Amino acid sequence: MPDMLTITSGGDLRTLLRDADLGKLHLALDEGEGTSAFALLDTFDAQVAAAGLLLVLTDAGLHLLGGTEALVQERAEPDFIAQMPAGPVTKRLSGIVSPLRTLMTVAEGTLSRHGLRVLDDNEKTHLRGTLWVLDAGKAGAVSVSALTPLRGYDKTLGKVKAALSAAAGNGKVGTMLEASAALRGEDPALIGKTRIVMSADEKAFKAANDIIRAQLVAARRQEDGIGADLDSEFLHEYRVALRRVRSVISLFKGVYDEKQTADLKARFGAIMARTGRLRDLDVYLIERDRYLALVPEGFRPGIGKLFDMFAAQRDLEHAKLTAYLDSKAYEKEMARLEKLFDKTKALSKGPEANRHALDYAKALIWKRYRKVCKIARGIDEATPDEQVHELRIECKKLRYLMEFFAPLFGDAEVRKLIKALKKLQDNLGNFNDYSVQQAALQEQADALAGSSEPDTVEIATGIGGLVTVLHNKQLEERARVTASFAAFDSEETQAQFRTLFKPEGEAKK
Amino acid sequence: MKIVACYSNKGGVGKTASAVNIAYGLAKAGQRVLLCDLDPQGASGFYFRVKPSKKLTDERFFTDVKRFTSAIRGSDFDNLDILPANMSFRDFDVFLSRMKNSRSRLKKALKSVDKDYDVVLLDCPPNISTLSENVFKSADAILVPVIPTTLSERTFEQLLAFFDENGLPKKKILGFFSMVQGTKKLHSETVAAMRKEYGKRLLDVAVPFSSEVEKMGVHRAPVGTFARNNAAVKGYDLLCKELLERL
Repeated sequence: MPDMLTITSGGDLRTLLRDADLGKLHLALDEGEGTSAFALLDTFDAQVAAAGLLLVLTDAGLHLLGGTEALVQERAEPDFIAQMPAGPVTKRLSGIVSPLRTLMTVAEGTLSRHGLRVLDDNEKTHLRGTLWVLDAGKAGAVSVSALTPLRGYDKTLGKVKAALSAAAGNGKVGTMLEASAALRGEDPALIGKTRIVMSADEKAFKAANDIIRAQLVAARRQEDGIGADLDSEFLHEYRVALRRVRSVISLFKGVYDEKQTADLKARFGAIMARTGRLRDLDVYLIERDRYLALVPEGFRPGIGKLFDMFAAQRDLEHAKLTAYLDSKAYEKEMARLEKLFDKTKALSKGPEANRHALDYAKALIWKRYRKVCKIARGIDEATPDEQVHELRIECKKLRYLMEFFAPLFGDAEVRKLIKALKKLQDNLGNFNDYSVQQAALQEQADALAGSSEPDTVEIATGIGGLVTVLHNKQLEERARVTASFAAFDSEETQAQFRTLFKPEGEAKK
Repeated sequence: MKIVACYSNKGGVGKTASAVNIAYGLAKAGQRVLLCDLDPQGASGFYFRVKPSKKLTDERFFTDVKRFTSAIRGSDFDNLDILPANMSFRDFDVFLSRMKNSRSRLKKALKSVDKDYDVVLLDCPPNISTLSENVFKSADAILVPVIPTTLSERTFEQLLAFFDENGLPKKKILGFFSMVQGTKKLHSETVAAMRKEYGKRLLDVAVPFSSEVEKMGVHRAPVGTFARNNAAVKGYDLLCKELLERL
């Protein structure tokens, strides 16, 4: 496969190419065949663009731009990848787009396509490609071109690449994510992950407010998707954002005063509470096939009916949540909370509010890390499950703190430690999930006990089978906890935690 | 992969123009073609605007597979690559045997870049005395352009005699009439006589003379790209078809 140069530009690439100093090389661009309509498809969180690709639906077909080769297949409406017709484009995307996320039209506009060649002084073609100029009427046109060298002309590719970078200088050559954001008319920082700018000497109060404000924005962005019921990830992301808000409130001790803390906890808690049942049911339904595979054949019809019940309940819960999100009460409450963190004057500060963020972060993370280690080191085969649950919760808090303050410590460094922590968390998370699921299924069975529906016995039997399997799975996870922690508790990781987070002046442990 | 040598023991018969137009015709017909420019006087690479590779005068070139594959240039046309080489006959031998040997590193290198060609077309130098027998041994077919004149008939006869003397398979020789001018009595008479004499050693097709072919040097492109409906173009297309049937 030859190398390929994908150039993305906010604005008209043709100008940029003309301005570039290509030496003896020059450019030939054809007129194209006029303009036609296009739709940009992606997931809400731009998973396609984040992978350096643009998925463009035209009259002619479904095109994937920006890969190592231009892929195209027949037109298809956006959906979950698994629901879309098989073809080279969907095949490539299946490794990129989460099966939980649906593709959707994220921008629409007009498109023109031009043949593009780079030739030498003998009029010999060295590079060839198609230039796509897309305009969604938002932040100006976006141009994308993949230039492929003819055999033996790879060097020209390097030359053109260098000339373009030099000509662009001011950042006109951008990433696919930026191109996608420009077409969507959104901030590139927003369609991906939320990023916070934080400085070491800013106050803890400001750091907390900044994080909460960003998470509120992130949560609110999900509301339409939840209402339209496009995929389950909108609700999931909504809950993640609000959970982060609540974590800041509870973990950033002393930043707000006690009364303020309690008030915020209660208010965000009340919003979150509306979403819990729907999310539980979503998770069950996502796992439907896996659950069915877990139990022996005989239990499957019962489990199938149980899931049909879940699906019906889910629709009810969804309607309930949507009604709530559409309500004046919700809108008013969110507006009040947003205003509170925008103005921040009305927030009552606690004793730690004016501490420097870095100082404060180190103290919080170091304390939490020590606590995780202390609990974990006390766990052996005989330790009651409560301890394991506590370890899970502490790990989660530690993770949140590290993520919140990552900008202060260097993202790469923190990411390494989070990766180590995540392995332990996965183990603990599975252990917890299996335990929660057993309890929930048991509850479902108890609720069925009084019912006179004809399927009751079959469903209850299915639940029985499933609970047994889940119990065994839980035991397996439990048996791994000691080893998982030992893997996390390596000398190297310990040293890194010490270097990054140990507050100055604290005695060696 | 088939190796086809475009060869003539007589100059001025339009050998290089034929090689260029046949390579283009074969590629147009969907064959993956590598045209090797082995004739420093013909310079078929020139017609594809490919600059001669400096690397090719280097001794180490043919002992180094990577250098060989990296000298190949894509033409401006699909399925058609050019090896713009000026090589000595000794190198040419090595080159041919490596092309032919499926286990050779050259063959593997070509495969590794997904460029296993259907047809390798050699634009050969015109000197029979120095041209190695190996070319004739390695090639699956030897295309010989023949202008239907008495002199050309004699050189064609000489080539066949050379094959006889050296125990080479004559059936590889595929002569074709080139630059035929139907209005010339000599041409039509020679064509008729030679067809009778040499039978299957001559392809059915006769490529007519065309001033457009002479303009290839101006356009620096195969004639089919700038004079699509020219009679010579149709002749080359038919020739390609017949060649593929014979291979």
